Amino acid sequence: MQDNVQEKGSSVVRTVLGPVPAQDLGVVLIHETLLSVFPGAEYAPEINMDKSEIFELLKRQLTEFRRLGGKTIVDASGMFHGRDVELYRTLSRTTGVHIIASTGLGPEPMLSGYFTTPQKNPPSPWSAEQFSGLFTKEVIEGIVIPRVERSSSAGLVTSIATRSGITKVETGLFRGSAQTALATGVPVSIQYGADATGDLEILLGEGVAENRIIIGGLDRIDAVRRKEAFAVAKRGAYVAIDHVGWSSSEGFVNDGERAKLVAELFADGLGERVLISSNAIGVAKGHETKELGYDYLLTKFVPMIQDAGVTREQIRLLLEENPARVLTIDASADQKVTGWNFDWDKLYQPVIY
Amino acid sequence: MGKVNTVLGPIPTEDLGITAMHEHIGFGLPGCDLDTQWWKKPEEAFEVTLQKLRRFREHGGKTFVDCTGIGNGRDIEYFQVLSRRTGVNIVAVTGFVAADSALPYFRKQSVEYLTDLFVREVTVGIDGTDAKAGAIKVGVSRGGKLNELDKRIYRAAARASLITGAPIITHLCVDAQTSIDIFNEEGLPLNRVLFGHADDGGYLDENRDKLIAELGGWVGFDTIGYDSEVEGAPYWSRPRQDRVEHFLRFIEKGYLDRAVISADANCCALGWPGLKGHSVNYLFEEFLPDLMKAGVGEEVFEQLLVHTPAKILTMQEPVKPKSLSLKQLQV
Ligand SMILES: [Zn+2]
Repeated sequence: MQDNVQEKGSSVVRTVLGPVPAQDLGVVLIHETLLSVFPGAEYAPEINMDKSEIFELLKRQLTEFRRLGGKTIVDASGMFHGRDVELYRTLSRTTGVHIIASTGLGPEPMLSGYFTTPQKNPPSPWSAEQFSGLFTKEVIEGIVIPRVERSSSAGLVTSIATRSGITKVETGLFRGSAQTALATGVPVSIQYGADATGDLEILLGEGVAENRIIIGGLDRIDAVRRKEAFAVAKRGAYVAIDHVGWSSSEGFVNDGERAKLVAELFADGLGERVLISSNAIGVAKGHETKELGYDYLLTKFVPMIQDAGVTREQIRLLLEENPARVLTIDASADQKVTGWNFDWDKLYQPVIY
Repeated sequence: MGKVNTVLGPIPTEDLGITAMHEHIGFGLPGCDLDTQWWKKPEEAFEVTLQKLRRFREHGGKTFVDCTGIGNGRDIEYFQVLSRRTGVNIVAVTGFVAADSALPYFRKQSVEYLTDLFVREVTVGIDGTDAKAGAIKVGVSRGGKLNELDKRIYRAAARASLITGAPIITHLCVDAQTSIDIFNEEGLPLNRVLFGHADDGGYLDENRDKLIAELGGWVGFDTIGYDSEVEGAPYWSRPRQDRVEHFLRFIEKGYLDRAVISADANCCALGWPGLKGHSVNYLFEEFLPDLMKAGVGEEVFEQLLVHTPAKILTMQEPVKPKSLSLKQLQV
């Protein structure tokens, strides 16, 4: 039995099974989803929530990801879109893949009445400070298993803005997320609305450091046209080219242009700020999803960026070093992690493929 | 033969007895479960809930209609245990408290989808159980006007009410004309609708109460006990005596047979503090004595708590909704 209060100066990331040394992360997909449930779908009679089936599908995909050399996956869908931390813990033990779960909410249409029309007069939506309070507890005290208990800690805080432009409530969400990043040391990862650099400024306005911020969705057609990735990286924040495998019918550039974008960012000396991921969903309930697995990026896209002139060392930077750097908890941040036992988890033998 | 769906199966109308028409085992806006400030020890929640239901039994109460909609804390298996352990019939509802408490998945659905969902919960079962809903819940979102989704839910509820024979219970009756228009368009007689919370302190309108009664609807004085004199009273509260007088004026106009009384209390609130000390038992311990003091006779209580609820809750013969063609029904 060990005390899980971390030593100052130790470089760790927070996975669902507890802190893991940053150098153990290996190849990371930094913006994916494991189980995605459209909020409320779990109450619909036509939705089958058979956990054994969900587990089996995710296990297969994660095992394949590991076989291909992947070692860590970030579930970036926040706290109200199907996140099942107990399932993720079992999956991690079973497959040997590190899983990092997120706290956070958004976009506004995915919020529920508790946040948008509270039982008071007038029913003003939650403020940034209220959101931050909720998210910070998920980092410091642990992720909620609703009305039952808190589990292991969230490793990052995420949010999403509406594509036509960030709304007032979403500005509160972004500010609250940034406050949580500032208070806890975890990174904040957002999908921008209509204006990536503008949304970045909202986060920076809370005093969070540039290098604790990930701006996602920068492979959207409009962002590429405006060269937003370059502006964001020059500002010192992380650029997530996180829709690998997506294309113009979904509003994104295709993989060829995406590979070119990555190569150009390296050519401009911005490679240390670039992250790549595929926004794939392992299992979706209550909504349509794109046919895209966690294997695609490693098997299809990595060869494409190599062809575009990105070196092996640069690929290591993209998939290992950059993600590890941004996911590492700032050692100076307030650390009060308690409540689970990492030794016990080590008793489990990962499945060796 | 009249029947009513309870969480432990259908019962004869005669067995309803003294009935509280608009109550909650526990209500919370969806998402409140993520906020630990509202978490309670389940054994404590169970105990306080049992105490309130037992007290309800001691007052002669027999049937408790839980008006908690989908995603607001409606917990069928829990209701089943509570009903078994206390002997109180619990009627669960399908539907939504209002559009702004419907979860995103349901907000995007069509009238047809919502109709099927409500019909299914009344005729097949709720949440994978075979417990069937005994009424359909609809309501008005914050702001005092039916929004587009409120209207979609009202329309679906009207169709489901016709198809299944189950009544509709509304949360709020502000903007009544809009809802009446929808019920009329769908061909639903207003005697299948309990227009709830006519006594809500924020939305008082005695002409509206009269209109509903004249059209054959039921007028709910069903937030009884939310007295502004009580510390921590929520925004919909009002002075205790004002409510009593409002009610007395309504029955003096000859509408006793259109009136419903209930407390809208939470046995153990989920996503809000609740009102300390409030329970369904306020009806027996405070409100009926207030009426007695005003000279109201006991036969009135029997009408309010036994005969009227029985009329509303008894399932009607299914009717084909105006809006559906025969072809659609066969599919
Ligand atoms: Zn109610």
